[in-house]
Amino acid sequence: MNSALATGRIPGDPGSSSERTKHQIERNTKLNVIIVGAGNLGSSLARKISDMGHRVTVIEKDPRAVSLLPRGRVESGVISVVHRDGSTGAAMIEAGIANADVFIAATGKDSLNGLAAQRAKTIFRVDQVMTAVKDAAARSLYDSLGIITIDKTAIASEQLAELMPKTQENQETPGKQTEQ
Amino acid sequence: MYLVIVGGGKVGHPLASSLINEGHEVFVIDRDPGRVAVLQRELGMIATVGDASSLRALEDAGTSRAGAIIATTDSDEDNLAACQLARSNFDIPRTIAVANNPENAHLFELVGVDLVVSATDLVIANLATALPAHPLIRLMPMADRAQELVAVKLPAAGVVIGRTLSEITLPYGTNIILIVTADGRTKTPDADAVIEAEDEIVALSPANTTDELWEVLTELR
Repeated sequence: MNSALATGRIPGDPGSSSERTKHQIERNTKLNVIIVGAGNLGSSLARKISDMGHRVTVIEKDPRAVSLLPRGRVESGVISVVHRDGSTGAAMIEAGIANADVFIAATGKDSLNGLAAQRAKTIFRVDQVMTAVKDAAARSLYDSLGIITIDKTAIASEQLAELMPKTQENQETPGKQTEQ
Repeated sequence: MYLVIVGGGKVGHPLASSLINEGHEVFVIDRDPGRVAVLQRELGMIATVGDASSLRALEDAGTSRAGAIIATTDSDEDNLAACQLARSNFDIPRTIAVANNPENAHLFELVGVDLVVSATDLVIANLATALPAHPLIRLMPMADRAQELVAVKLPAAGVVIGRTLSEITLPYGTNIILIVTADGRTKTPDADAVIEAEDEIVALSPANTTDELWEVLTELR
């Protein structure tokens, strides 16, 4: 998987620089990451990604919802917060999308995530765009548009299923129990 | 033609009834059971409760045999998702969406919605045509309101363009005080001053003939 988050960037690496803007090459391994939605998923993503040393900006319309974000990091400015509707261009511009390397739509609404992700990809041409989805049809739709999709329910159920004690029967047919 | 309408609100509802009157077969999907009940009472069993940004609702509405989907909700993200899901899963021939936020109109087109109707842009365009393009601006009442100081910007295609002031028949008692050109120069309103396109005329007019003055100065060729 060609994931900027997973690989980071090697300082001075000229590889694939043709599509990279100047600031991206100079900035080395620190990525600018925008997350839409400060719910459970968005907040824990923001914490994890800022743990990795990247710059995180969270867009969240509801001022109360940001209570899930690590307060100290918000107050010290390590995680920036933009209080606007994250599907709009104005919110994305305020969040610094011109310099964003990664855009993650992590609200609880598939269609809103889809709109935000498509704007980030099509209008602002962000390098790597990801979106959380619940619906399988939405997942294949956004996959087909070059947007990386994350289905947290599917991931959780796969992990839980792996933790199931192994019996003789389901050892013989591995994977069956993870279908739904 | 069989048409699926998403949203039975202030756009979807009248749209459904007008399409039915034109002889189309329509089916409406709306999240709100109250709206669906109203539609069913007024138009028959042509509406169902559902979330059209999910595949199941589109399946239930028979999207696979529809000629077009028309997404009219007040939620732009749902309108886009409905159109895209209908295209990717049912290969629907035509997708039409309302964009409530004008900035979404362009995005919808870029990502493949066949026809985008920008509600705000339509309203603005209609309002603009309803208003005179070259209004009479009432600057100040004078002489105990018997006279009025007014300004009028002249349309480029007006009959008075190219004429001298003496060739224009103004309402009785009107005094042209100043002519300001489009680039900000001032012209003295002599009898032989030539009127040019986009000139702005400042005049002292009897209060009861300002409308007449406006008509004379803005009449089109």
